[in-house]
Amino acid sequence: MHVPDGLILFPQYLVYYAIAIVVIFFALRWARNSLDERAIPLLAVLSAGIFAIQAMNIPIPFGTSGHMMGAALIAIIFASPWAAVLVLSIVLILQAVIFGDGGITALGVNIFNMGVVGGFVGFYVYKGLKNFNGKAAVFTAAWASIFFAAIAAAFELAMAGAFPLDLGLFYMGGFHAVIGLIEGAITVVVVVALQNVRPDLFSLEQKPSEVASK
Amino acid sequence: MSPKNKKFLVGGIAIALVIAVLAPFMASSNPDGLDSTMEKVMQNPETEPAFESPLPDYTIPALGEENPLGGVIALILGTLLILGIAYGLSIIIKKKDGKKNT
Repeated sequence: MHVPDGLILFPQYLVYYAIAIVVIFFALRWARNSLDERAIPLLAVLSAGIFAIQAMNIPIPFGTSGHMMGAALIAIIFASPWAAVLVLSIVLILQAVIFGDGGITALGVNIFNMGVVGGFVGFYVYKGLKNFNGKAAVFTAAWASIFFAAIAAAFELAMAGAFPLDLGLFYMGGFHAVIGLIEGAITVVVVVALQNVRPDLFSLEQKPSEVASK
Repeated sequence: MSPKNKKFLVGGIAIALVIAVLAPFMASSNPDGLDSTMEKVMQNPETEPAFESPLPDYTIPALGEENPLGGVIALILGTLLILGIAYGLSIIIKKKDGKKNT
């Protein structure tokens, strides 16, 4: 999912850089206003865990592989899509600068796809479905987060002239519909584990604000 | 930091590091969803990085590209860096706010 250099050319990538700077500003503002100080260790550990697990590519059929993205996980646990933007931005900047994972010119577009699209789709799908079934909502939100991030990438790469739109959508959507099952499964496991270990920090049944006010 | 928080932090870091150590051995080397799509829809899917990153593709160049030890070290380094940056950044952001309120 990490777009490399050379697909989205100058000056188009500057548009995504501009978007990324704006959303990082909002993400930092979320942290200042809404990040519970007791949850800072949780944010740090989950960021580190997402970095590590993004290197763990799991094979899927068709000779392809995929890895966890983590945006829905963060958005659900911290009850805000901006939390996902913050964590994914930190992870993606380090990946691009030190490890060459995702192009440096594509940093803006990668933050937009994985942080913004992933975080917002994950958060609102979860919000819309959680009253039916908590775990199913988490799974669906995580699946949708990576699927729609991939769809966004297909549109952007078509606009950049790198992919034909129809085939780009077909393959990006198809591969990530399968990779989304991995995203969904891992996200459910982590959310349920966290709920059991630290119900004071996060609960599927309650909003964090209700937990905090106890 | 409360003992409970400390225990949680240590446990979480341990899990992240275990993943970092296992990833170079267990991760699939198949192209990911985007790379596979590039191979399917582009005539020339080869791309060149715009700048030379110090640890390209989670390897330590001095140890050789195929050495899994390089991958382990690179991923442990990255995991700890992210941990420190996320923790430090959050603390700094919150501290500023605390001063304003008090």
